[in-house]
Amino acid sequence: MRINKMAAVPENRALSYGVFKWSSYSSTYLPENILVDKPNDQSSRWSSESNYPPQYLILKLERPAIVQSITFGKYEKTHVCNLKKFKVFGGMSEENMTELLSSGLKNDYNKETFTLKHKIEEQMFPCRFIKIVPLMSWGPSFNFSIWYIELHGIEEPGVVQPCLNWYSKYREQEAIRLCLKHFRQHNYTEAFESLQKKTRVALEHALLTELHDRLVLRGDFQACEELIDRAVRDGLFNQYISQQEYKPRWSQIIPKSSKGDGDDNRPGMRGGHQMVIDVQTETVYLFGGWDGTQDLADFWAYSVCENQWTCISRDTEKESGPSARSCHKMCMDSQRRQIYTLGRYLDSSVRNSQSLRSDFYRYDIDGNTWTLLSEDTAADGGPKLVFDHQVRGQGTLSPAGSPLSLTSKAVAWALKNRISPICATVFLFLMVFCVLMMDQPPSLMNEHIPAVSRPPQMCMDSEKHMIYAFGGRILTCNGAADDSRGSEPQFSGLYAYDCAAATWRLLREDSCNAGPEDVQSRIGHCMLFHSRNRCLYVFGGQRSKTYLNDFFSYDVDGDHVEIISDGTKKDSGMVPMTGFTQRATIDPELSEIHVLSGLSKDKDKREENVRNSFWIYDIARNSWSCVYKNDQAVKENPAKSLQEEEPCPRFAHQLVYDELHKVHYLFGGNPGKSCSPKMRLDDFWSLKLCRPSKEYLLRHCRYLIRKYRFEEKAQTEPLSALKYLQNDLSLTVDHSDPDETKEFQLLPSALFKSSSDFIPLGFSDVDQTYAQRTQLFDTLVNFFPDSMTPPKGNLVDLITL
Amino acid sequence: MSTPYFKNKCVTQLNCTYCDSVLCTRGMKAVLLADTEVELFSTDIPPNRTVDFVSVCYSTKTCKCKLRDVACLKCGNVVGYHVVAPCTPCLHSCNNGHFWMFNSISVVPINRLDASGEDFPDAGGIPAALPFCQPWLVC
Repeated sequence: MRINKMAAVPENRALSYGVFKWSSYSSTYLPENILVDKPNDQSSRWSSESNYPPQYLILKLERPAIVQSITFGKYEKTHVCNLKKFKVFGGMSEENMTELLSSGLKNDYNKETFTLKHKIEEQMFPCRFIKIVPLMSWGPSFNFSIWYIELHGIEEPGVVQPCLNWYSKYREQEAIRLCLKHFRQHNYTEAFESLQKKTRVALEHALLTELHDRLVLRGDFQACEELIDRAVRDGLFNQYISQQEYKPRWSQIIPKSSKGDGDDNRPGMRGGHQMVIDVQTETVYLFGGWDGTQDLADFWAYSVCENQWTCISRDTEKESGPSARSCHKMCMDSQRRQIYTLGRYLDSSVRNSQSLRSDFYRYDIDGNTWTLLSEDTAADGGPKLVFDHQVRGQGTLSPAGSPLSLTSKAVAWALKNRISPICATVFLFLMVFCVLMMDQPPSLMNEHIPAVSRPPQMCMDSEKHMIYAFGGRILTCNGAADDSRGSEPQFSGLYAYDCAAATWRLLREDSCNAGPEDVQSRIGHCMLFHSRNRCLYVFGGQRSKTYLNDFFSYDVDGDHVEIISDGTKKDSGMVPMTGFTQRATIDPELSEIHVLSGLSKDKDKREENVRNSFWIYDIARNSWSCVYKNDQAVKENPAKSLQEEEPCPRFAHQLVYDELHKVHYLFGGNPGKSCSPKMRLDDFWSLKLCRPSKEYLLRHCRYLIRKYRFEEKAQTEPLSALKYLQNDLSLTVDHSDPDETKEFQLLPSALFKSSSDFIPLGFSDVDQTYAQRTQLFDTLVNFFPDSMTPPKGNLVDLITL
Repeated sequence: MSTPYFKNKCVTQLNCTYCDSVLCTRGMKAVLLADTEVELFSTDIPPNRTVDFVSVCYSTKTCKCKLRDVACLKCGNVVGYHVVAPCTPCLHSCNNGHFWMFNSISVVPINRLDASGEDFPDAGGIPAALPFCQPWLVC
């Protein structure tokens, strides 16, 4: 009995090919060498004669196949001829190829595999020829080399043949549509109808045929406007809108001041504070920070609806809450209406007076109560702020014992072994004391070590009632008295806190190995939780002096790390720059990450013309786009409207996002002014990312139609046209917009032109009115989704000189 | 300081072993100061349009000279290194003033004729002294 293999997923296997054509080669580095994989033979490669373009290799597959991936082999060592940038093209014939991949190789000794484009709108297409075009090598003056190529895909005739058939049918159909478009543009009515009847190929969606009829054939402009109006309301312009770029709109929030109070009705200036937002009630919560001289312990809530700050508590410590602090980390459980706060900034100078513990609090909004969840998360198996060699010995990641927990452990041990607990405790402390004295640790007493600690970033998973904490810098003290460089910083790994059970679990230790499931810890990174696909996204940050550029995601349910970008490929200008303070927020519904990149804390990195930049990362498409970058020049222009103002660049600020209402809120921070280092900001901004609205597009289309109508009228009835301009056309213009007003004011010149002196290219044999109406039709058609429109190209453009 | 090891005062042409292109026409055989077992070729003039730099400056453990690897432009393989900036001790010690070195396994010396048409031109009585630097790792 034969099992029908066609029912299963078609097998992806290595495709056999031969080298068909090459641009050049040098000495013994023949193109055929790419068929063989010998990483330790430096001559087993193809090398071009020079690096002047065009350089290429064309491979011919033995059989047409659907090519799904390409693998590049390498040499056993780094080599300057490796391709830093290249493109791959593919097609059924040599002359007709499309771009399948644009990428680059790393300069190392590992094979790299890339997925090639092999579908057009979910339909697979086959290739017979693959062209590899090197663009840049790792050494700019060196030739291009390719060591080994493997192609993978499907070549079973049962799968490829239908694709081939579809492909030729598709090409024929597109050719017919181009002809139909051409015939219609030139008013060859009979030819058009005849071709359409014979082939039954639809040029476009019926709605657009109707639009063409009303606009071009009948000149019934009113009916056109109605059609467009209906199309906009039916949401047909949504795809166009989603492809437009966002424009940022900042506006400074001036909250209502409550009666009586002087300045105390809103939070004072600060940096290193924390904010969270409750999207259900549209409330922003703000806690703590550093005002330039001291840590703060005030706790505020801002109601968006009422535009007012309320002080929940002037000093949370007095209400069994956390002490004054900055650089702590907070997260919000909007389902249960609870706020968590972890840790604080510590440096060695406070260590003598304060306890060195990483404390963990929860605030219940409805009950207005603070609960201390843990005095020291490290003792509970969670992240630590301080790693104290003296108490626990050499460096395993075992929780450092705080005096309190050690004592309790000693007592428990004593009781278990029937020793007097008091003796046990005294003995324990004696031992610790001896250890301290013997090693003469300077660290506990020495205030010269500039070590600091920072708590990890936290993210809330409301659904499963878990908190994820990653990163953070541990204050370490080792015994070396004369080590002028101070202690080696250690970083905390990835932890999960089960809120219900109140237990911590270590998911990943800090690892420099960068293996596939390892994570490299850091501070100052952005960490976000995507509540829909249940992944943590981590990028950027700093590890001692190094700025990290990698981007990875962690699937919390599958316990799996996925490296999105390891940061080795320098895509300068295409991704947010490292080293500049980044604040990020996530929109799970749109699957976008928003990043505001600002000032660098590093004084050397602060160039004069670097300002705020706002980036959006599309998770599905794995692509970054810069929404805006502003220059200093804009800031110096005093005659700007309030709408164009935006917050000055800063660090240590806070940015939160309301994903329901699509608004960002920003508060305070450190402007980094070297002349006044203690200055902090207290400004409060909202940011909306705007795309053209439906109403704007509708008005714009109406304007286009009426503008054309005016121009047509101006040829025959100038007086009537002028009236039309002043009334109907004027209605569609936004007179507060300077660009639109200017364009409107230039329109009357059409009244004085004797005949239009602009004949659109390619329409020489057609009636002018018909040609111009067709042009307007083509413009309006662009707002509709591609699936509805006629082909974008023109038959005449295929003719080359 | 050990006695300089005089091996050969000849000036030879150097070809790349991998691709046989001409790297230098004025190469001189020499040995390393630190390890006289290591032979290499050095030259005074910067090789023109035959090699180029790869990677960044580095220093070896043994001294503070700044080095940078060079590779054959034709085949891209590393063939030697260039002393970008010598350290003071090396500068003051006995040396032949050459700043460009080629690994002996990367180059093939080819004897060239001198002006008179006879074999083996002499380096003109200048002792084939020792070039800079400390062992680099021949890869």
